[in-house]
Amino acid sequence: MAGRPAAPRAAPSGPGLMTTTETTPAVAPPVAAPGRRRSTSTARGERPLRLVVVTTIIVAILTLVAWPIVAALLGSLHDWNPLNDTYRWVGLANYRRLFADPVFWTSSVNTVVFMTGAIIGRVVLGMALAYAVYSRLTRTKTLFRTLFYLPTVTPLVAVAYVWRLMYNPQFGAVNSFLGLDVNWLYDSRFALPAVMVMTIWKDFGFAVILYLAGLYALPADVLEAADVDGAGAWARFRQVIWPMLRPTTLFVVVTSIIGYLQAFVQVFVLTAGGPGDATSLISYLIYQQAFENYNFGYASAAAFVLFIGTAVLTMLWYRAQTGPLRGKAH
Amino acid sequence: MRLRITAICLNVGLLVIAAVTIFPFVWMLLSSFKHADEIAAVDQHLLPRVWTLANYRSIQEHFDVVRLFGNSLLLAVVITAIAVYTSLLGGYVFGKYRFRGRGLLFSVVLATTMIPWAVVLIPRYTMFTDAGLQDSYASIIIPAAISSFGIFMMRQSMDNVPDEILEAARIDGASELYIFHRIVAPLSVNAISALAIFQFLWVWEDYLWPYLMITTPSKQVLAVGLTTFSGQYSTDYGGLFAATTVSIIPVVIVYVIFQRRFVAGAASAAVKG
Repeated sequence: MAGRPAAPRAAPSGPGLMTTTETTPAVAPPVAAPGRRRSTSTARGERPLRLVVVTTIIVAILTLVAWPIVAALLGSLHDWNPLNDTYRWVGLANYRRLFADPVFWTSSVNTVVFMTGAIIGRVVLGMALAYAVYSRLTRTKTLFRTLFYLPTVTPLVAVAYVWRLMYNPQFGAVNSFLGLDVNWLYDSRFALPAVMVMTIWKDFGFAVILYLAGLYALPADVLEAADVDGAGAWARFRQVIWPMLRPTTLFVVVTSIIGYLQAFVQVFVLTAGGPGDATSLISYLIYQQAFENYNFGYASAAAFVLFIGTAVLTMLWYRAQTGPLRGKAH
Repeated sequence: MRLRITAICLNVGLLVIAAVTIFPFVWMLLSSFKHADEIAAVDQHLLPRVWTLANYRSIQEHFDVVRLFGNSLLLAVVITAIAVYTSLLGGYVFGKYRFRGRGLLFSVVLATTMIPWAVVLIPRYTMFTDAGLQDSYASIIIPAAISSFGIFMMRQSMDNVPDEILEAARIDGASELYIFHRIVAPLSVNAISALAIFQFLWVWEDYLWPYLMITTPSKQVLAVGLTTFSGQYSTDYGGLFAATTVSIIPVVIVYVIFQRRFVAGAASAAVKG
């Protein structure tokens, strides 16, 4: 990397924090005390700073993450409604109700379909376009890269509204473009795919950037070797490049699993879960139960199921991809 | 020649896909300058027949979009500054100090990035409401002040800060804070700008938390304002085009200027992951 050493002055140190070096009277630094090899890390002033930082991080994790998780777990075992101050132990009743709720199952299926479709779209488009941009036949690489990544940097809520207008059956650009007359968001056959298309459009650019970075990091001799072997373009891609980009794919898929299982804003803006439950996702169900019906206990139970589902899926995918051979590569 | 044809197809194909990618933005921007009857017309044209600023005037009158924009900007700047600073500090401590429990604590920090928001949202909501923080910006800033992702990213970037320089400074008697501000920070500019971009965009598009926390309409952020607007004036499409333009176009402009940094940041976030 070797990013320009000490080029532009970074953020001018915070006010008052400069402590003027406590300029020690020119005493030679303590010559590494005998028997202690760690002269480097026990520098003066390290301890207080480390204590402050580590303590702050621990306190933040305890109050903003650990405690909320415990509270949500406890809450999921209670009939919990903040509006009428209910907080009554009900054991596993919320979970039983959840698993008996057809909306929960519809939402689960929707979530898995949405996640799978969006991941496939993101990986395929991301890989294909990155490879196309990477090709030495392509001019203006920077331009394409910049344009593909554009949707990713724009704010999701606003972008979802733009797509709601795009899908408008009266004047939306999607219908004008395709010469169709479809009410995308109000037709239960098309609503979920429509949400998926918007999501893929929003996110594929990130995959393009990652795959491009992966491609540029490939050792040149491998590619040349494949060229010399006379491997056809497709064979070269299948047998050399795709396997070598496995870490990138792993990263894209894992972050997508985590992200898409909790997708919410798209559905909130585009369809509100409708028509019927056609586009209800788990996170949307949780939101509705929590902040429309104030069933905090029930929503917490659903959130925990989502939590466990995310953890299991991520682990499974990670296991399947890294396999036992690679172990810890660090 | 075959290669030539392949090259043309490739470039044209990419161009078409790029055009489709940015089309929604172009359409939004142009539509925001159209009169209502032209937006809803059966006969659609990309360019407005009559250019008008009526939509912008109307959203400003009905819901003070400038104010909401300012709120979002203020929060995004403040949170980004705080979170980048704390992340760099955390990254420095995790990356350059050796202490017991370092590996464990860092794994815990990393693990928190995988927890769905839905799990912690409800308890956080009751916690902040009980603490009387609802409707204050403190409720937005506090949970964002320390970022696990930021600490992770900055820790990774510490490899670019050579230990020898830190050692030399220590031998010269520099305090740790001096080293952090004057040596570590300047050497981490690339990582800082990458994280700052991510952080800013996250605050800019954050929806649910401000929606739950901020109750006074004039204190609300732009993202939430959009949904309020759409709820109240569901058929004012022109207004919606204008409001989404206000939310999106500034980001696009900043992105186009700094696109290199945006892209480098995205790639660096993943490379060593």
